[in-house]
Amino acid sequence: MLDIKNINKQYKGEAVLQDLSFTLQAHEMLSILGRSGSGKTTLLKILAGLETADRGQLLLDGQDLSPVPANQRGIVYLYQEALLFPHLDVFENVAFGLRLRHRPETEIKKKVNALLQRLELPEQARKMPEQLSGGQRQRVAFGRALIIEPRVLLLDEPFGALDTETRRSMQQLLKRVAKDLGLTAIFVTHDLKEAMLMGDRLGMMQNGQLKIYGSRAEFIADESTGAREEARFWIDLHDLKLTK
Amino acid sequence: MSRFTKIALIGLILFPFAFLLMLSVGRQWPYPAVFPEQWALSNWQLVLGGSEGLGNSVLLSVLLSLSVATLSTGLSFWVSRHIAYHPKREAWLSLAYFPYVFAPVILAACLQFFFIVAGLYGTFGGVLLAQLFITFPYGVIFFSSFWNERLRSMEELVKTLGGSTLQAYAKVLVPVAKGALMTCFFQLFLISWFEYGLTNLIGVGKVPTLTLRVFQYVNEANIFLAALASCLLILPPVALLWLNRAVVFRERIVP
Repeated sequence: MLDIKNINKQYKGEAVLQDLSFTLQAHEMLSILGRSGSGKTTLLKILAGLETADRGQLLLDGQDLSPVPANQRGIVYLYQEALLFPHLDVFENVAFGLRLRHRPETEIKKKVNALLQRLELPEQARKMPEQLSGGQRQRVAFGRALIIEPRVLLLDEPFGALDTETRRSMQQLLKRVAKDLGLTAIFVTHDLKEAMLMGDRLGMMQNGQLKIYGSRAEFIADESTGAREEARFWIDLHDLKLTK
Repeated sequence: MSRFTKIALIGLILFPFAFLLMLSVGRQWPYPAVFPEQWALSNWQLVLGGSEGLGNSVLLSVLLSLSVATLSTGLSFWVSRHIAYHPKREAWLSLAYFPYVFAPVILAACLQFFFIVAGLYGTFGGVLLAQLFITFPYGVIFFSSFWNERLRSMEELVKTLGGSTLQAYAKVLVPVAKGALMTCFFQLFLISWFEYGLTNLIGVGKVPTLTLRVFQYVNEANIFLAALASCLLILPPVALLWLNRAVVFRERIVP
C-alpha cells in the first residue's frame, strides 16, 4: 500500500503541491484528472524519486521512501512519449530492466517472449523502434516497465500522443493487463473519459491539491470535475438529434 | 556532372597530395625541370629511425593526439551534461568560449609561468595539459547542443527501471551518443594533431611533434623533408576520416 502524507513542493516560491495526502491500495489503479500545470507530473516525479518533496512523508508498504534513491524504489515512471532506446530492438528494450539486474539469459528470453505475447507484439521482437507505430511503441514501453514487476507503476498521460482509435485500444489493453497482473498504478490524464475508464478510484487535482472521491457517483456529482457538463452536452446533442 | 568534370575535380583535390608525395621521393630539382632529376626512397628511410628521428615524431604525435582526443572527448561529454542541465547553463557555457577569446599562443603565454612552477614546461605531460585547455572547452561547446529534455527523460527512465548513473551512461547515453562522440573525437584529434603555437611554446622544442617538424623543415628550406613530413602529417587524419566514415556513417543515425 502506498501512503502519502502532507506532501508539499514549491518552485521559486510558488506552491505546486500543498498538503497532499492519499492512499493507494495494492492492485488498485487510481486515476488522477487535472489540467496542465496542476502539479500532476510533479507529484509523480516525487513518488518516483526523481524530485524531492519539501515536506511530507511517503510510505510504501510501511517503508519510508524519502531516503531511497529512484533506482531502488521499484516505482517505474512512464512518460507521455514511449522513449524507447533507439539503439535497441523491441526485444532488448523490453529486456532492459532484466539486463540491468544481470538475470540469466534463459530467464530473460522466457519472460520477454511471454510479455511480448501478452502485449500482442511477438512479430515485432526484432524490429527497431523507428519501425513501429505509435501504439506499438507505447506497448513496448509498457513491456519494458512491466518486466521488472514494479511495486507501483506511474503513468503520466501515456496515451496523450496517440490518435483516438489507437488510444481506445491501448486503454483496453492496459486495463486488461493491469487486471491480469494485479498492477498497482497511478494513471494521470487530462481526459475526463479516460480517467473514468481507467481508474478503480478517481481523483481530481487542482492548484496543487488532490481530492480523492469515494465513488464514481461522487466524482460525477462534483461540478469541478466537468463530468456533469460533459454528460449534459451529450444529452443535449442526443435530444437535438431526436427533435430534428 | 560529366565524367570529365568528375575526373578533373578528383584530380584537383588529389594534386596537392600527389605533389607532396613526389617531392618526398625527389632529389635535385633545379629550375626549369618539370620533375626532380633524381628519385630515391632515402628520405622515407629516415622515418624508420635515421638521425632525423621522424619515426619518433610520428609516434609522439599519434600518442599525444590520441591521449588529448580521448581525454577531452570523455571529460567534455560528462561535464557538458552537467552544464546543460544546470540552472545557470548560459553562464557556464560562456566560460567554455574563454580560451577562444584569446589566440592559443596568448593563452599559452598566460599559462607559461604556472607550467614552469609545476615542472611541466618542456614535457610531454605539459603539452598534453596545455592542449586540453583548447580541446576540452571545444568538446563542451560541441556537446552543449546534444543534451535535451528527451535524453534527460531517458536517463530518468533508466533510474526508475533500476539502473545506476553508471548504467545509464554505459547502456543508454554513450550508445545513443556514439555518432557524436566519434565526430567529436575526430575533430579534437585534428585540433591536437595540427596544433603548433601552444605546443611550441609549452614544449620549448623538447616535444617535437610532427607539425613542429614540418615547420622546422620549412624554415630550413628543406623542401624534400618538409614534403615527407607533410605526407606523414596527412596520413593519420586520412585514416581516421576513413574510420569515421566506415563506423559512424554506415550505422544508424540516432537522436
